[in-house]
Formats: sequence, structure tokens, C-alpha cells
Amino acid sequence: MDGVSFSVAPGEIVGVIGPNGSGKTTLFNSILGQIKPTSGRMRFMGEDITGMSPLALSRRGVGRTFQTLQVFGSLSLRDNLIVAAQEFVRGMPSRLFAAPDAGLGAQADAMIALFGLERVAHLPAGSLSYGQQKLADIAMAFMPRPRLVLLDEPCAGVNPGLVDGLRELLLRLNKTQGGSFVVIEHNMDFIMRLCPRVICMVEGKVLAEGAPEAVRSNPAVLEAYLGN
Amino acid sequence: MKAKLGILVLVLALAAAPLGLKNYGVYLLTLWCVYVMAGMGLNLTVGYAGQMSIGHAAFLGIGAYTAAILIKAGASFWLVTPLAALNCFVVGLVIGFPALRVQHHYLAFATLGFNMLVYLFFRNEEWLTGGTFGISGIQRPAFFGFSLDAPLPFFYFTLLSTILLAAVLWWIIRSPWGRAFAALRDNPIRAESLGVNIMAYTLLAFAIGAAFAGIAGAYFAALVQFIEPGPFHLVTSLMMLLMVIVGGSGRFFGPMLGAAIVILLPEWLRVLKDWYLVMFGLAVVAMMIWLPGGLLSIPERLRFSK
Repeated sequence: MDGVSFSVAPGEIVGVIGPNGSGKTTLFNSILGQIKPTSGRMRFMGEDITGMSPLALSRRGVGRTFQTLQVFGSLSLRDNLIVAAQEFVRGMPSRLFAAPDAGLGAQADAMIALFGLERVAHLPAGSLSYGQQKLADIAMAFMPRPRLVLLDEPCAGVNPGLVDGLRELLLRLNKTQGGSFVVIEHNMDFIMRLCPRVICMVEGKVLAEGAPEAVRSNPAVLEAYLGN
Repeated sequence: MKAKLGILVLVLALAAAPLGLKNYGVYLLTLWCVYVMAGMGLNLTVGYAGQMSIGHAAFLGIGAYTAAILIKAGASFWLVTPLAALNCFVVGLVIGFPALRVQHHYLAFATLGFNMLVYLFFRNEEWLTGGTFGISGIQRPAFFGFSLDAPLPFFYFTLLSTILLAAVLWWIIRSPWGRAFAALRDNPIRAESLGVNIMAYTLLAFAIGAAFAGIAGAYFAALVQFIEPGPFHLVTSLMMLLMVIVGGSGRFFGPMLGAAIVILLPEWLRVLKDWYLVMFGLAVVAMMIWLPGGLLSIPERLRFSK
């Protein structure tokens, strides 16, 4: 990446688009401390978070999903959701003596209902279909009620018929939880209808930034990514 | 309800198991209890938290020598057992550190090296461990004035302790810690992004597993009443790993079944005379090929094959 600079307001949803290899996931990995940038700084809620570990960032309210499926395969879907938030409940020693669901059962059930996964809630997450695991993956990121969520291709592998529903879900979570989202996605229809602001990256640089329609009709974006 | 009834039947069966057996049979059952204690710890480290360890016999040895040395110095078994656990917990924490940097076969070799180091310490540091001459005359404890010296009372005492330790393990794995251990095993990168402190849980997985082996070591010392470095060699570590895998790694009753197979099956196969170890070896190879999930995976496999 080179000279990438942008900010996200509280509650804002920002889309990041660009061809494969343009640096979108590298951007996420840099923000989340998985890649250390050679220069530049990242700030979250006024604090310099450059190079912080994913653990430290999660404690500050930064969550993410990954491009590939990242559920805990041997745990039930419900347990996946509980483990996604349990580490934010009380101190580590006291969690040994906490209720098995760490007091998060009702919250997990509500999230399962929101994502329409009730039928498979008690099955091992690894045995679910790709689409169900993808939804579980996204639901997990929202369990700790993060202040910033980085969603890496949430539509990838999701049945086209469910994409609209996923967009509605994200909008509802944005409204109810109030966090900010940064969303990487190749599904243009999805991202244009979800994000009031879109950033287009090409070869590690920001090529265009602004309202979805303005970015979509930008001649440079058309040439480098969307085509005519 | 069905599970509780099953556990009750199992406990009653174990309580009745030594009745009618000679001293050697009771000794084997007590040894089974000791290996179940150690195996449960290894199952936490390997099965639940997904770490590799082929150095668990070292912790059994540290527990046994801690207990033997302190009992010989006049300390009570009731005091030395928690001390053996604590000693192993601390060493286990230290041994967990390589797991923060390396995984799989690299970690296996790191723990193997640790086992060799501890074994050489037991063998060479005669001033403390008695070297190859070992430590003899280790007293068994008494319980409120009731001697546990005879084989049968000591078996019941060890069985009760094993059940208590199993309850502790059950508590841990059904608590949020257990879920965090499973998350660490299944996907440490995702776990960390969700606030799971993978460093703390990795170290704890080793330390708690080691503490279980430390307690088992104290009971082992009291059972055999004479310890020398031999039982804490790498072979024992491999045997304990075999117990966990044969029974079912990451399954609560895995080490119990695995220890029964590894300790008792060779004895039952003795009717085959010279061939008994060959048959045992073949049975293990067959099991690894057709049942990599261990014996306790059979019901699951049958359910899926329907």
C-alpha cells in the first residue's frame, strides 16, 4: 500500500472495492496488526493503534471477518457465538467459575434468530453449509458489539438470493449496535446499496473515493476495475 | 439423566472391579487410575486445546520425585500432592512457551527434548533423586488414622481421587475456559481476533495438564513405593499419548478407555504368550488406520454411516 489515507465516522459504513491484488485485504491486515506497515499511522478513537496485536484491538472494540471461513468447526454454532463474546465478560480467572454460557446464551439466541440460523444452532459449525458458516462467521463478529467491524467479502459464497437479506441484516446491526463498518466486497450491487461512501483501491493506492454513484461512474475506476 | 445413570453404573463397576482379584490385579487397576489422572491432563493439553506434547511422562516424574523426596523428608502425602501439582503447574507454564512460537511436529520435538532433559536429571542428579538407585520406602498415606497401605484401600483412595480430578476437568471444560481451549485448537487466528488471549490459554493448557500429571506422579510414587528414572522415559510419554488417541482425543472418557486398553489389554493378551505384544501392536496399528478418532468415535461413525 502506498499513501492510503481515510477516516471512518462513528456509525458510518464505508465500502472498499478494487481488483484482486489491489491491497484491500492488506489494508485490513495492516489495521489489525497482522502486517506491520513500514510507514504511516493508524488511529482509533484518538489512540494510535499502529502495530497493535489483534487481541489488543479486539479489546478496544475492533472486530473483523476474514475472506475465508473462520468458524470453530468442532463447536456448535451457538457456542461459536458465545465464544465470540465471552472473553469480554469479567476477568479471565472469574470466567472459570462463570455459568457455562458466560451469561451470553440469550444474546447468542437473539443473534441466531436475527440471522435465521435457529434450525442449525446446535450442530457443529464445521458441519454446516458454506453459506450458513459464512452467516455464522459474520454473526460472530457482531457478538461482542464492536465499535468498528472490518468485513472482508461478506457476500463471497453466499447464495445470491440471500445477499439482499444480508444487506438488510448489516443495516439493522448498524442501526441497533451503532458501530462503524468497513466492507470489502466485489458484489457491486451489494456495496453500492449498503455503503454511503466507497473507496476504490488499485495497486495499493486509493484511486477514487466518494458517493457510490460518483465512484462507479469515475472513468479511472471504470478503466482500472469495473470496465465499461 | 441417561448420562448420569451411565456414570453411576461406571463408578459402581469400578468399585466392584477389584473384588476377587489378587494383589497384582488390584495393582493394575490402581495403576490404571494413575494413568487416567495423567491422561486427563494430557487430554486437556492435546485433545481440548490442540497442543502437541510428547513429554508428559516428565511431569509424571516431577510429581513422583517431588512427592517421594518430600515424603522421605517427613512431609505428609496430603501436603506433598498439592506441592507436586504446583511444581508441575509452574514447569508446565514454562514448557508452554515454545508452543507460542512453534506448533505440530516442531512442538513435539521441543517437548520430547524436555522429557529427555528431565529424565537425564533424574538419572544423573544422584544427590537429589538417588540416580539409577532411585528412592525406596515411600510411605502410603493414612486417612484420619485409617491406613491406606494395603492394596485395596489404596485402590479405593486412588479411585476416589481420580473421580474428583475428573470432576475438576469436567468443570474446566464446561466452563467458558473449555470453550476458549476449543477455539484455540480449532482456529487460533480467529480466536485472537475475538479477544481470546491465546498466549494465556496455551500456557494454561500446558500448566493444567502438567498439574494433573503431577498429582498422578504423587499417587504413582505412593503406589509403587520405589521410584527410579525408568518409568518417566520418553516411552511412557508415547504410551500416554497413545492412551489419549486410542480412547478418543478431546473426548472426556477418552483417556479412561485408552488407559484401560494400554494398561490392561497387554495383560489380557498374555494368554497368547510370546505373541501378546505383537498382537497388541497390530491392534494399535489397525485402530490408527480405521479409527483415527479413537474408540469413542465409533458411535458417531455408526450414526454417520446410516
